Amino acid sequence: MSTTTEEVTAQLVAEVTNLLTEHAEILDQNELEKWPELFTHDACYRVLSRENVAQGLPAPIIYYYSQGMLKDRVTALRDALTYEFVYTRHITSPPRIKLTADKQVHVQSNFSIYHTTERGETRLYAVGAYEDVLTRVDQQLRFRNRDIILDTFAVPNNIATPL
Amino acid sequence: MTTASPISWPTADFSRIPYRAFLDGNLAEQEQQKLFDGAYWNYLGLAVEIPNPGDFITTYVGSREVVLTRTETGDLSAFVNSCAHRGAQLVRRLRGNATSHTCAYHQWCFDTKGSLIGVPQQRGVKGKGGMSKDFDKSRHRLLTLHVEEYKGLIFGTFSPETEPLPDYLGAKMRVEIDRIFNRKPKLLGYFRQVVPANWKLYVENVKDPYHAGLLHLFHVTFGIYRPTMSGKVIMDIDHGHSILRTADIDEEQSEVNATYAGIDKYRENYRLADPSLFDVAPDYDDKVTNMIMTIFPNLMLGQVANTFQTRHVRPRGIDQFELYWTYFGFDDDDEMAIEGKLRQANFVGPAGYISLEDGEAGRLVQRGVGSRPDGSSSVVEMGGRGDIDDIDSLATEVAVRAFWKKYAQVMG
Repeated sequence: MSTTTEEVTAQLVAEVTNLLTEHAEILDQNELEKWPELFTHDACYRVLSRENVAQGLPAPIIYYYSQGMLKDRVTALRDALTYEFVYTRHITSPPRIKLTADKQVHVQSNFSIYHTTERGETRLYAVGAYEDVLTRVDQQLRFRNRDIILDTFAVPNNIATPL
Repeated sequence: MTTASPISWPTADFSRIPYRAFLDGNLAEQEQQKLFDGAYWNYLGLAVEIPNPGDFITTYVGSREVVLTRTETGDLSAFVNSCAHRGAQLVRRLRGNATSHTCAYHQWCFDTKGSLIGVPQQRGVKGKGGMSKDFDKSRHRLLTLHVEEYKGLIFGTFSPETEPLPDYLGAKMRVEIDRIFNRKPKLLGYFRQVVPANWKLYVENVKDPYHAGLLHLFHVTFGIYRPTMSGKVIMDIDHGHSILRTADIDEEQSEVNATYAGIDKYRENYRLADPSLFDVAPDYDDKVTNMIMTIFPNLMLGQVANTFQTRHVRPRGIDQFELYWTYFGFDDDDEMAIEGKLRQANFVGPAGYISLEDGEAGRLVQRGVGSRPDGSSSVVEMGGRGDIDDIDSLATEVAVRAFWKKYAQVMG
């Protein structure tokens, strides 16, 4: 990507961190309905196995290319799909931020997600990286592209709620 | 050898399956000996995964780690991934290209066919030590498998008794394999799930069209699969294979409504905000929306809408398996067709609208049966008891009974 000389300001770092933190909080508080609102209408959202990425293979684990599809996922999770109830806890690393000439904000952060059963047993569920392109909608930073590179591609059973 | 007694089957028609089949750890060892090491063909991989001489992938035959490779002359070869010297894991990467394999421990070197071609210090050092004079490299090969390929599907067997692969697959299965592999496949990727359930619960799941229209609301509501569609269960009972095939023909809305009256799984008013997932041109004009073939013991070849996959069910002890998906399109797919297959990956794999629920079903059964008293059995009577025959219906569990019939024959 072509980067600009424009500086990554402390304010931008704070805004990006805030968005990542909000994302984690929404998921961990089971407020799934708010999750699609963090994305632009034309957002592209993919979950990719690190195994496939390393080999240049394109098959995605999840591939949504509109905010509507993110909403559909939430509707399905609420009304349609059968999956195990767990409490989740997302731990997100500090972001690495780069600006491109067209004012897109490229952000990389790492995550780990813990699952805790209703009986209070916690297990490390997934580790990976978020590779995001953020853009402003009504002044607010929103996800325009999110690629989730999943290191834990031997998925513990399945992926129901968003990573 | 283990001393576990064979399963005693309560009914001759396999309409009762003792839950011990999913719980008794001794059975896992017996399955390795009798089933995976026996006179049956085990799926190893697709030919497109190893197109060039020296290409290799690692896979499993039961619990044994096996390397599948292409030799310098283009032949296929497979061996257990353990050095003939002291047993160390020989090939240390999952995939790659090498025309010889050298053990890290003492540098014993093997060719792609499993022959020992190099032993360092065989004649000693400074005139002392070394192997015995009668040491014969040809007697220390890797443990190899017989390998055969049918239409790009590669299988291996440890037994010299196993019948030729086309006969093993049988005419009924070959029709459907030919239908899919009349085009050259193109590898699109892999998915893996580690499911907390016995591997045979997944085999039961894919042979069970009864659950498909009841567990999977998404499937049902959006017309990928409904028992009111034209459905068939096609079996090769002697070999333990089966096909469940659903085509979107001959379906009346009134039948759908009647079938789902009082069941909250078909939602006429369920609408997607973005239904473009379904706007993918079909690959074939036969209106098949769902086809799952099971090749005994543990391979599935599947079509869900426009997606095509092999699913390899890899046992890990008695209460866990890895489900290893190889996701493919076809060489003659244009960009749009490939894009369609990538979009419809949303149906299958670990997060797929349909498949994620099958992992959950396995977990629920494994968890549930662990709470039962010894000696109890499942009830497998949908589609009737008694004879096991092909049926033009999806309200049936007959292919589950057929699997257990074959399993019982193998396990004794």
